[in-house]
Amino acid sequence: MKPLQGKVALVTGSGRGIGKAIALKLASQGCDIVVNYFRRREAAEQTAEELKQLGVKVEIVKANVGDPAKIEELFAAVEKSFGHLDIFISNAASGVGRPIMDIDEKAWDWTLDINAKALLLCAQRAAPLMEGRNGKIVSISSLGSKFVWPTYAAVGISKAALEAVTRYLAIEFIPKGIAVNAVSASAVETEALKFYIREGLVKDAKQTTPVGRMVTPEDVANVVSFLCSEEASMIRGQTIIVDGGTCVAPWASVIEKGEA
Amino acid sequence: MTVEEQVKDIVSRIAHIDKSIISRTATFKEMKADSLDVVQALVAVEETFDIEIPDEEAQKFRNFGDFVDFVEREAAKKKG
Repeated sequence: MKPLQGKVALVTGSGRGIGKAIALKLASQGCDIVVNYFRRREAAEQTAEELKQLGVKVEIVKANVGDPAKIEELFAAVEKSFGHLDIFISNAASGVGRPIMDIDEKAWDWTLDINAKALLLCAQRAAPLMEGRNGKIVSISSLGSKFVWPTYAAVGISKAALEAVTRYLAIEFIPKGIAVNAVSASAVETEALKFYIREGLVKDAKQTTPVGRMVTPEDVANVVSFLCSEEASMIRGQTIIVDGGTCVAPWASVIEKGEA
Repeated sequence: MTVEEQVKDIVSRIAHIDKSIISRTATFKEMKADSLDVVQALVAVEETFDIEIPDEEAQKFRNFGDFVDFVEREAAKKKG
């Protein structure tokens, strides 16, 4: 029997990128999956097909998690299809890439609503569906919560808020038997990253990662999967960094490998 | 009110664009709508007409006219 057999996982933003890799990983462990998408229906349908080939049940639900009414519809759909939830992955993210002086209220609200407020509202809705089931919640952050990149202010700030929400949920959800953590990654090889590279905002991260290769969506998914296991049950409110050593060795970007 | 007028109203309101510069041949760039304006306009139009405009379709729109044509087709399908 697979370790997560019979469990139900909702992964927001799972049509592509990191969310898709997480959905595939959890499905490979036996989880039924609710695929949530916002804008790219074809990508979500493709992901659902790949998940079904792993022999699990799959539902697709379109919802903008930046809209509280849509969050309600999303969880109503989960409840109708499965009646309960074991794992909630807050992965969907959006953001406006602008210098800080150009961040207007609309851009701020859009980014913070999707990247941070959604975790709070989704967790509130997920908790009753996880009652008595040793639920797991994992949010997906980025190093922009701690480090500064050009035009990344709105997203970075939203990720700092996301990590704080994660910590408060972790403690307040202990009586509910729900473990809450975050996974943060450096530049991950996704379509979203290609945008930043095209815009000249991120250089080839292979050169700045001590391990010598970029972080993949699967690297992130593996850690998320571990946090969803009972083996990780004493980890609470943490943000686990998946970056191939970048944070602890910033010098790796300025010296030749092997000369340290 | 026609579909085109409704869509124009929504785009004008969300992107703060004067209706006089919204024409069928205008691109979003020409109308000075940024990517957030476009996404929010797409979402608002979806909700108004109870249709879906996936990004895969929206990326094919060459101008405002293509956007309106797509909405008209989808809205007509919805009415059946």
